[in-house]
Amino acid sequence: MTSTTQPQKSIYHRLFSILPLLRKPRNFFFYILPFSIILGRIIPASTASAFNDAGVAMVQIIAFPAIPLVLSAVMISIANIFSVSERSREDRFRFSSRFVVSLSFALLFGAVLALLLSLYQAPGVLSPDAKLSIGRFMLDVTDIRIGEIPIVESTVNDLWITKIIPSNIFADASSGQTLKVISGSILAGLAISRLNRDLTQPLLSLLRSINTISVQLLYIVLNLAPLVLICLIAGAVSTINAEIVVALLNFTICVFLTAIASLGVSRLVFRRFTSSRERAGLHVNPVDSVFLLSLSTGSSMTAYPLMFQTLKSMGRDESEVEASASLSLLIARLGNVTYNVIAIVFALNLYEVALTPIRLAEVAALGIVTGISAAGLTGVATVPTIAVALLYFQVPAPPVLVLLLAIDPILTLPRAATTGVLAMSISVISSVRSSPKGESHVSETNLGLLAQSPEGPVVEGG
Amino acid sequence: MIRLFLRFLLSTVCAAVLLFPLQVSAAENSFIEGIQQRGFLKVGLPPYNTPPAYYLEPGSEDLQGYDVELAKGLAEKLGVDIQFDRSSTSFNQLVKRVGADDFDIAIGKLGLTYNRLFDAFPIQYLSFRHALLADRSFVASLGVDPDDSKFGDILRQSKIRIGSIENSTWETESRANFPNAEFVGFKNWSAAKNALINYDAKSDGPTIDAIYRDATEIKPIVYDQPDLSLKYVPILFDNIIDRKSIYLSEKGRIGLYDFVDNYLRREWGGIKSDTNILDEFQSFYLPSDS
Repeated sequence: MTSTTQPQKSIYHRLFSILPLLRKPRNFFFYILPFSIILGRIIPASTASAFNDAGVAMVQIIAFPAIPLVLSAVMISIANIFSVSERSREDRFRFSSRFVVSLSFALLFGAVLALLLSLYQAPGVLSPDAKLSIGRFMLDVTDIRIGEIPIVESTVNDLWITKIIPSNIFADASSGQTLKVISGSILAGLAISRLNRDLTQPLLSLLRSINTISVQLLYIVLNLAPLVLICLIAGAVSTINAEIVVALLNFTICVFLTAIASLGVSRLVFRRFTSSRERAGLHVNPVDSVFLLSLSTGSSMTAYPLMFQTLKSMGRDESEVEASASLSLLIARLGNVTYNVIAIVFALNLYEVALTPIRLAEVAALGIVTGISAAGLTGVATVPTIAVALLYFQVPAPPVLVLLLAIDPILTLPRAATTGVLAMSISVISSVRSSPKGESHVSETNLGLLAQSPEGPVVEGG
Repeated sequence: MIRLFLRFLLSTVCAAVLLFPLQVSAAENSFIEGIQQRGFLKVGLPPYNTPPAYYLEPGSEDLQGYDVELAKGLAEKLGVDIQFDRSSTSFNQLVKRVGADDFDIAIGKLGLTYNRLFDAFPIQYLSFRHALLADRSFVASLGVDPDDSKFGDILRQSKIRIGSIENSTWETESRANFPNAEFVGFKNWSAAKNALINYDAKSDGPTIDAIYRDATEIKPIVYDQPDLSLKYVPILFDNIIDRKSIYLSEKGRIGLYDFVDNYLRREWGGIKSDTNILDEFQSFYLPSDS
């Protein structure tokens, strides 16, 4: 009996101990990516949907701690920051203004960067061969059918502002309305900050426990990230139309360039807004780690614990880091902003709409608005948010969306990486050191969500 | 001797009377008898080439197509030869002429309209959805998402400029289904397509936003030139069906209706949809895939 179970145990143990190691970026590029591509080329197209479904199911598991994490992190941090008894008015004003200014600047920067790269790269200006490939891909797919029973009512014309106003925080949380959860948490946090500490302490303790558990849960489910990637990449490679990827190469390159440029700018911001003493204990640039983690998981939210741990370990104010990191990751959605700007320029070029200075300004503004409206959405679900902008420019939305969705399995990765690194920048700019004594406790494990032990670090959870 | 002769005469007459009704039984349907006595079935075809339904084989004068084959099949079952008449100047005139007994049947993707019912009697053999090939910029200018349930009504009430073949069912249907639309008639389908896709202000007259016909004419345009899918979109009306029919005169309805109907059920395979036809003639519509 013992002899039969012992080898099984060791196999399972080895399997589960390998998964965290595979989360290292180096392993992603050297092992997971090539293996997934080869697997995708080998598996029959009929099995691709099974791989894709398995990947999506695991993404759902990884996203599962997001709502409690957001709800608790935002509520606790806002309550702490705006607490009359614990912080001065100047402190509150300083954080709010720095956060709002850095957030606005990041949004503007992201939109302008994407706009400039789009003008340089000219996505949507297609060769006749590319047009033919796209046309073939679109045959029968974009036909408009009138008279059939609509499966889903269109939501393009919904005002995005209505998606922000909370109705019932628990109902919103259970229905996955992340934006409403954030706004509800901010309002609740503000209310808590106005109350006597004795009254709110039980709730804050509960929220802190939820937060700690959520972070720990995220560490555990993140172990699935390599399997998610293998399933999604293999499924995508098996089914994705290589002709379309080639036809939309300019667009694809533009999105990747934006991610790399964002990484460069975020590195500069990190150097400029952190002291050499804060950086003294760092062996790895945390911006690189955030970039690679978001890129390799396709989810910027997975970088939240890394950002939080890193900045907290550097001695930054815990509440400010908590608030700025969670809000910038969830609200700003800078990867979506840059992606949407590029996608809108792509659509305008595709339909030969002249890019006048006024129109470019409109593109930037609409890119920001539609990018923010993607808050709470993940993966391909974020793509249709640009339909509003296309409708504004009277550019046909369905064919553009079909093309964008066709290559989204690839572009969701740089989009998440852009969101991650620019959110890190916002967090670095808007948070300040809490006290001189907190500066020196930077350990390697704090920077190493990617390099952590299989058991995960001991997380306080804010 | 005379008596013997009279007996012989009587028995000959009786034999003739007994045998004669067998031959007359074919003449109980005088319409079919007329065709059989003539020795060929007169079929009216539109004066156009509409492959794969009816068209002249390039480089020869041979008529080809599924409508042509259907008519030939009918003639074969009648035990007669076939003669096609393509001298009508329009679809509407063709229907009027069959109603006036110029032909035994008229065939050639002829749609069904109230006006045509004044002239002749239809037997449906195809069921094709109405379709537009519309300029995507016009669709976008409507300001409503095509997936929106209101899109159909907004499109129908729009001031869309629709092009199709003049004096065809599409002119009538355009006025009925798009009350605010402007219809632009063209000599033939190629001219209508050119006006939309390769617009030339000098030769094509007014600009148009869409061309209108059934799904089997609209879909092949993008199948043939896939790059057009970027600029133009097929709009298929699942709830507006063109009942393509074979037309008969009043006499033909009495004499030939059941024969044609039986042939359609047993040999043709019942009423076929546009999807059936697109699948059946995939080698024509999508030559690269076959």
